[in-house]
Order: sequence, then C-alpha cells, then structure tokens
Amino acid sequence: MDAGRLTRIAAVAANTHREAVRERVLYNLVFFAIVMILSGLLLGQLSIRQDEKIIKDIGLAAMDVFGTLIGVFLGVSLMSKEIERRSLYPLLAKPLSREEFLAGKFLGLSFTLLVNVTVMALGLYATLLATGRGADPALLKAVLPIYQGLVLVVAIAVLFSTVASSALAAVGTVCVVVAGRYSDVVRNMRDVVPDAPTWLIEGLYYAMPNFRNFDFKNRVVYGDPVGWNDLGFVTVYWLLYLALTLGAAAAAFRSRDFH
Amino acid sequence: MQPASSPALRIDGLTKTYRLGLTGRVTRQALHPLDLEVRRGEIFGYLGPNGSGKTTTLKVLMGLVRADAGTVEVLGLPLADPAWRRRAGYLPEHPYFYDYLTPAEYLGYAGRLLGLETGLMAARSEELLRLVGLSDSRDVPMRRFSKGMVQRLGLAQALLNDPEIVFLDEPMSGLDPIGRHMVRNIILGLRERGKTVFFSTHILPDAETLCDRLALLRAGRLLKVGRLDEILAIDISHFEVLCTGGGAAAREAAAAAGAGAAREMGERWRVEIGEPALAALVSAVAAAGARVLGVQPVRESLEEYFFREMGGDTARDPWTLAD
Repeated sequence: MDAGRLTRIAAVAANTHREAVRERVLYNLVFFAIVMILSGLLLGQLSIRQDEKIIKDIGLAAMDVFGTLIGVFLGVSLMSKEIERRSLYPLLAKPLSREEFLAGKFLGLSFTLLVNVTVMALGLYATLLATGRGADPALLKAVLPIYQGLVLVVAIAVLFSTVASSALAAVGTVCVVVAGRYSDVVRNMRDVVPDAPTWLIEGLYYAMPNFRNFDFKNRVVYGDPVGWNDLGFVTVYWLLYLALTLGAAAAAFRSRDFH
Repeated sequence: MQPASSPALRIDGLTKTYRLGLTGRVTRQALHPLDLEVRRGEIFGYLGPNGSGKTTTLKVLMGLVRADAGTVEVLGLPLADPAWRRRAGYLPEHPYFYDYLTPAEYLGYAGRLLGLETGLMAARSEELLRLVGLSDSRDVPMRRFSKGMVQRLGLAQALLNDPEIVFLDEPMSGLDPIGRHMVRNIILGLRERGKTVFFSTHILPDAETLCDRLALLRAGRLLKVGRLDEILAIDISHFEVLCTGGGAAAREAAAAAGAGAAREMGERWRVEIGEPALAALVSAVAAAGARVLGVQPVRESLEEYFFREMGGDTARDPWTLAD
C-alpha cells in the first residue's frame, strides 16, 4: 500500500473521529453509560457479599448496551450524512477512491469506539477502586470481545448506510444486531414454524453474526477462566465477519450512483 | 505529464440513463450521446435549463455517477486514471462542508487528500481564504456560515491544489452581487494564468460576460457549441437604420420599404428592418431627403437566443422518458 493511500485513509479517519468528538449526542450516551456503571455502587450495597459481582456485571452490561447504541448511532449517522448532505462530493472529486473513503470512515469510527470503551472501562475500574476492590485485569477479557462486537456493529451500520437512507440503515442495523444477539431463537425457529425449510433456518443462522460469541461477561464476573484460545476463536470469527461485511459495503459503495 | 496539445477535456459518446423506482423499470435518459471538447486555457460555459443534464455531466466527470457508455479524457488522461484529479478542482452545486469544521480545518483536510505538503497547504489556504474574503472567518465553525460564505469556501477548496482545470457547478449560486463580482474576477484571473475553467450555469449574463466558448444543452442533448459570436452571428435578427432629416416623406418611404414605425430621437430617427429589404430602405429614405447616419446589425442576446432555443418554456419537464 503506497504512502499516499495511507495518508488519505488516515485523513478521512481523523476527520471522522473529529466529527464524532464534536457530536453532542455521543457525550450524552457516554455520560449515561458512566452513570450506569456508577449506579453499581448503590445496587451493590443492596446485595450482601455480591456487591463486587454486581458492580462488574452492571458495568460490563452498560458498556455493551451503550456501546451498541453509540455504534449504531455513529455508524449510521456519520456515514449517511456524508451521502445525504453531499459532503462526499468534493472529496471523491479529489484523488480519493471510494474504497479509501470507506476504509477511513470505518477506521475513524472504530477508533472513536475504542476511546469510548476505554473511558467506560476506566469508569468501571475507578468504581471498583473507589469501593476498595482491586482492579481485576481479567475484566479486560470481557471488555476486548465487547469492543470487537461493537466494531462489528459499526461495520454493519456502514454496510446499510451505503445502500439505504439513514432511517432504513438504522432499522436494518438494529434488526441484524438484535437477531445476532438472539441467534438461538433463529435456530430454534422450527419449534414455532415447523414447516420452515432447514436450509432457510440454517442459512439465516449462519448469515447473522452471532453476537453471543462476544459475550464473556458472566464468565469473567463469576470467575470462570477465559482462555486465550477462546479469545483467539472469537477474534478469527470477528475478522471473518468484518471482512465479509466490509467487502459487501465496498462492493455496494463502489457501484452506487450519487444523484 | 501529458502533452499540452491534448484538449483539457474530451468527451465522446457519453450517455447516462437513470433507473427510477424500486424495480428500476422506469428510466430517464439524462444524457444522450454527448461529444464535447474543451481547449486548454479557455473559459467554457455549459448552459442549459434545470434538468438539462449539466450536473449529471459534471457528476460523471467527478466519478459520482457512472456513465452507461462513452469515453472521457481529462488533461489527456482517461477518466479512470486518478492522476488528473491532483491537477483538477471541483465545486459542486449547493455544496455542503461539515458544519462542525472551520474553513481552515476543512482546507487542511482537503489538502491532505490532495497530498499537499503541509507548509504549502497552509500558505495556499491563507491565500485562498483571503481571495474569497473569508480570512476573518477562518476559525469560525461553518454552522454559522451563510449560503454565500459556504459557496466561497467551496471555491477556495476547488482551487487549493492550483489546478490546471476547474469544474464549477453553478458557481454564482447563492452569492450576493459582491460575491458574484468576486467569482467573476477569480474566473478571469484563472484564465489569465492559463487555467481552464469549465462552468455550468443558467445565469446567462455571467456566461455572456465570461465565456470564451459555450455549449447549450437541452434535455441531455447538445444543441450548439462555439464562441458566443459564432452562436449568435447566425442569428442577426434585424438591422437598425439611424437617419436624420427627410421629414414625413422619408418616414413614409421607410414604411413603404417594409420598416416598422420610426422611433423619434430628437433630430434623429430610427427604424428596424430585415436584411432582405435593407438596401431598398436605405435608397428610399435617401431619395426622400434623409441622411442615413448608420446601419447597425442587431443580434439576439444570449438570453433571447436561449429562450427561443428552449421553446420559451424552461419550466417544462426536460427529461425524455425512455420507458
């Protein structure tokens, strides 16, 4: 990859991050996430000898839920705005390919999510330290897959934004994320619809990214060991789905007319 | 680097059909096979009513819309070669630039995409912001900008890389008279420096004032290409004959030769006549005792020509339904 290409991708990524940083809605979501994490302090006091688990449980869940909201919001709005407000036009007239733009956009969004997840993780550690608990490094084994899942959410949002309006892209992304979080329901669909063809159910099940694969919260909170091989499997799975999603987004974006 | 002898822009057989609706079965042909050549160093006006295909042409050139057929060369390079884009600038119609950025930040972003060296980029940014009258607003977020200020910044970003060819889509849009004067001067300044300017407009006086050559487009078809005098020369509508003296007899002789009513202008009077009867009229009024002071061919203005060619009805749907 030549240096010019890297410079252009980095320029788009930096501008995307700057746009996200200046977006007030983002701060609201991060603020509520931090409030949720801190609320573990109160709830922890209600449960005898379970307070540390509750703080961790609520903290990780808040990171996951608010991170997903941030991912959908940023992924859809920052990509769709470029197309709908036509800020993209003067950029593509410059020596910037559509693939470079898409890559820059995705990397900028992923970096913004990394910053957000880091802030939320620091909030969780601060809460634990403030209540006299140790800064359990094992928590990172839950935080990393949460971040991977959020990056996949952004990739899905970018894919939908390349082919649909912002409203449709948001609906589509939420549908895939919800279906991906409850993919067992899809697999057990035959219990509800006995006549449904196996190929359709299996096809749907494997087409949807299984977000439960990124969920190590309970295992970490309850002290079950999470091996590096588990994280390695999830990372391979994540990279595979990222490649497929971003490849589809690039193909759709490449063939799109902006009129 | 391509030889400077190649045209700045060459378009051969460019066509574009938009597919509408969910099924895409309804189509609208935005460009019929279009052939066009723009020479280096000229200001080329691309004229047509709304929906005539001007913006579609520019979008094809900028890679925003894919053509169905045809070939395009810019600065001697194929359209698909990104190298010419480093030497070109583009101002889209009704531009939008991120309202959370300041002009200085936006030009920095655009400069990085163009691969400009940091020092050069900063110097060019300052120079251009001064040129378009935005120096005082260089650090003001664009959400506070008027439409005209956004347009000015659009022009600045189009000139950031000191381009050899500039594509401007309705550059006067949204500008007040001072802004329009400024843009006119910038365009003329670019020509003085040997740059090529391709601009689309439907503001005819601007085209009349600025363009070396122009093309008229209607419903995706090219009606005419040439210098303004070439386009309008064939359309000398009539002659004005300026006379003095001769009294009522001379005026009656003029009327008998086919002229319209004489318009009195103090001691002088003027009649209008078509070319076939011109010689007879001049002889007749001279014989009746008048002095012919002058004969002036009257051309249509570009505006009159434009309206006549467009059938006087630029509001109708200019699309051709192909299905």
